[in-house]
Amino acid sequence: MTWYDSFLQQFVDGLVLGSFYALVALGYTMVFGVIKLLNFAHGDLYMTGAFAGFGGLSLVSGFLGAGWLGIFVAMLLAMLAVGCLGVVIERVAYHPMLGAPRLSILITALAVSLGLQNAALAMTGGQYTAFSTDLGFGGFNLGNLFLSYNQIVLVTTAAVLMIALELFVSRTLYGRAMRAVSIDKDMCRMMGINVSAVIAVTFFIGSGLAAAAGTMAGAYYGSIWYFMGFLIGLKAFTAAVIGGIGSITGAMLGGLILGLLESFGTHIPFIGSEWKDVFTFSILILVLVFKPTGLLGKSEVERM
Amino acid sequence: MDKHSPPTRPDVDEHDAHKTKPRNPLQRLYAAFESPGRRRALHLTILAILIVTPWISSQYTTVILTNALLYVVLCLGLNIVVGYAGLLDLGYAAFFAVGAYTVGILTQQFGVNFWAAIPFALMAAALAGVIIGGPTLRLRSDYLAIVTLGFGEIVRFTARNLEITGGASGLSHIPEPSLFGWHIDSSIDFYYVFVVLAVLAYIASQRLFDSRLGRAWLYVRHDEDAAEAMGINRVATKLAAYVTGAIFGAIGGIFFSVNLGAISPESFSFQQSVLILLAVVLGGMGKIPGVILGAFIVVLGPELLRDFGTLRLLIFAVLLLLIMLFRPSGIWPEKRS
Amino acid sequence: MNKFLKLVTATTVLSLAAGSLAVAQEGPIVIGVQAPTTGSEATYGKDMFNAISLAADEINADGGLLDGRQIELITGDTACDPQQSVNAASRLASQEVAGVVGGYCSGATQPTLKTYGDANIPFVIVAANSTQLIPANPGNAVMINSTGDDQAKTALDFFEGKGIEKLAIVNQGDAYSQDLANLTRDAWTGAGHTVSAFEYVNKGEQDFSALVNKIRGSGAEAVFWTAYYADGGLLIRQLRQRGFQGTIAVGDGSNSPELFNIAGQAAEGVFAFSNPTADFLPAAKQFASDYQSKFGNAPGPYAPLAYDGMQLMAWAIDKAGSTDGDAIIKALNSADGQEWLAGPISFTPQHTLARSNFVVLEGQDGKWTRYEK
Repeated sequence: MTWYDSFLQQFVDGLVLGSFYALVALGYTMVFGVIKLLNFAHGDLYMTGAFAGFGGLSLVSGFLGAGWLGIFVAMLLAMLAVGCLGVVIERVAYHPMLGAPRLSILITALAVSLGLQNAALAMTGGQYTAFSTDLGFGGFNLGNLFLSYNQIVLVTTAAVLMIALELFVSRTLYGRAMRAVSIDKDMCRMMGINVSAVIAVTFFIGSGLAAAAGTMAGAYYGSIWYFMGFLIGLKAFTAAVIGGIGSITGAMLGGLILGLLESFGTHIPFIGSEWKDVFTFSILILVLVFKPTGLLGKSEVERM
Repeated sequence: MDKHSPPTRPDVDEHDAHKTKPRNPLQRLYAAFESPGRRRALHLTILAILIVTPWISSQYTTVILTNALLYVVLCLGLNIVVGYAGLLDLGYAAFFAVGAYTVGILTQQFGVNFWAAIPFALMAAALAGVIIGGPTLRLRSDYLAIVTLGFGEIVRFTARNLEITGGASGLSHIPEPSLFGWHIDSSIDFYYVFVVLAVLAYIASQRLFDSRLGRAWLYVRHDEDAAEAMGINRVATKLAAYVTGAIFGAIGGIFFSVNLGAISPESFSFQQSVLILLAVVLGGMGKIPGVILGAFIVVLGPELLRDFGTLRLLIFAVLLLLIMLFRPSGIWPEKRS
Repeated sequence: MNKFLKLVTATTVLSLAAGSLAVAQEGPIVIGVQAPTTGSEATYGKDMFNAISLAADEINADGGLLDGRQIELITGDTACDPQQSVNAASRLASQEVAGVVGGYCSGATQPTLKTYGDANIPFVIVAANSTQLIPANPGNAVMINSTGDDQAKTALDFFEGKGIEKLAIVNQGDAYSQDLANLTRDAWTGAGHTVSAFEYVNKGEQDFSALVNKIRGSGAEAVFWTAYYADGGLLIRQLRQRGFQGTIAVGDGSNSPELFNIAGQAAEGVFAFSNPTADFLPAAKQFASDYQSKFGNAPGPYAPLAYDGMQLMAWAIDKAGSTDGDAIIKALNSADGQEWLAGPISFTPQHTLARSNFVVLEGQDGKWTRYEK
């Protein structure tokens, strides 16, 4: 492989990884937008989504098969289930805390995260579950560049979901309400917007996207376990911040950038994969030093 | 956390309105503890309990109390950064690690005397405080959170990758210290060391709270711009919070490393930072007795639930959620504003 | 510590010990199980606990120990964290266990050695095998898992036998797999060969595509994965998906039938270094099927060792004829090479396993078979 091919291959692989990060980061950023909460339980919703997708697939694989169609239907089921779970979590654990200091709600988010993780641990006995599908390893070569069909389907699905979300937020009434709520909740209430409903919808969508990512990751990589949300939660949080937390386009961009950074970070000469994460976090800190609200974050006027 | 929230804190307003007669029994209890006369008696009682406990209880109790006292030191340190100065820190374990590793490396690999190594560890921690504090001064709380998280992870990965820190296995055979012929080695010895540390941390926190610097932190927390207009050096004040917090963390780390005799990167993970933050917020940010209470709950909670096996953290999570729902500002919140 | 303190402590310990002896005559024999049953390592910790409880149930069904006394287990959850493991160990010690079986994460096991040492509690370390544990052992613990040195030697012989020159080594950044990776690298370069890639992955990372590209780009003829089956399975899958044709071998942490569930077809032809376990001894076959039927999944890599650890402890208690710590420790160290599930056990003067009988296994038709060169 020439350096050029290798570069291209890293780029493609980084995009695949980045689209997972982006999907999860979207939920982070949306929730942050409406209630200013760093939802630490979001990674665990991804994990729950993977298990829900697994359950969904075993339900539908009988008549739809375990190919992309079956997985797609399972994914929709998982999105629905985990979306509802997200709404319930918001009602029980976050809603009563909205008047409290900001950090308190962070703690309830941590409690939810700990709860989901340990519930899954208890239910699975800690075992890794093989997410078996009928997906092959097939793909094709473009020169020296290898693309698998799975990668293409995956990136396309992620892109479609993200475009749909962007359209929803920018074109629909609910999307407009969502943006309004993120700017000023009290004013929205006075204008007759049902703020609680908007928050609920936001949680439904954010959690649903996490579930979609979880199911796709399960199907693509082939195994799921109770702790799988931790690392990706951390990374999605990072991605959301790089892009500018609260900004939907920023989260997509941040996810892709993080995926690319990690992909290329493995290949830095003389440093090696052991320093990959140090490299990623250093870049992150540098970005924030020069751009304190992330790449696409709104630079809020803080001075009066 | 941010300066927009204080006016919406129901607890604060409520309390201010009824300053003279606290309403619910919990508030009355706290108020009783806060009267100066009783406070002295209370301090002496607690100290007496702390001194006597290891002689009337099992070694297990001594060990987990030692652990809780370590957390008291760490939580009081983080409380300075988060509670006093209002800076969110998700990488506090980094300071803890810097203290532990500096002493571990100096004593175990270079044969430096434990007490002689302490100043180096404190300097290293102060330096780490400046390094972390420096780039973050311009950031809002949520960006601050991720930068401190990033620093915490960088410290942990560095400890894992370097040879001098022993890689993933960490350092072992860190020699136990002696003090004027007293060889500190049993769990009871270390218990008393941590009692002393926790008391010192308590006194230092109290003094800082009442000091000029403490009031500067309060101003900066509530309104940076107004504080600056009043002649407070914003940068120096924030850096002072990080450095002070770092020194508390390092002191915890220094004695942690000799207590266990072995340290490894898994002690300084992101979860550790989160647990310390959890204790601070759960107890009541900025409120010293609240933070101490939080430290004890976070350590003793999962211990008392050990009989539930795998379910113990699930139950702990539910309890945590319930506490927060009933006491949204923490169990014993700070009222000064 | 001054004399007075020492005297008081000694008296307290003595009276406690006397108390425990008096109580211990009738009731069940309590054995502590030290393993991570919460946190990210709970997969392996639960596996160990399951295997130990299987052994205890069998012993109890056979009439127990010391004239019919039953074994009762208490878990000491370490969560793989040094602080928590000291808490767990102190709790087990204060509950007056006759012995402790377990120990998974080396970093979390090490500080507990002192706790058990001070209380004179016999400790059979079943999985943790860092060389750092050896000097930290006050003499009450025995290690029944071979250390990384032996496995690195087996790996060297195996890869040399395959005529490989350029080797890629991948670990997971924890004490066990990093140790094994370092030892293998030193042995491999020491023998004059090339390590073309020496890589780390984080636990829980699922995407290894960048790593796989790097390994392929480095011209490696073989890959050695030194960590556990769950992430190893994903790595193997992605290596084969991306057309890596060379030899793949995994360390003993990956020696589990579960590897085939996760890696699927890609695990065919993968080699593993292992103690001669599971499917090769009749007793082990019985163990594997009992385990599967009782817990619903195949035994993990340390399940046979954990089972052996419990059986060894029981054997030592029987031999000692009492639950006295010294007597049991003496009996443990007198183990004279009887056959257990994972092979014969006897100890060196450093209380480590006195043998190296790693064998090479090969994945065929979804299970491990013995590989003969």
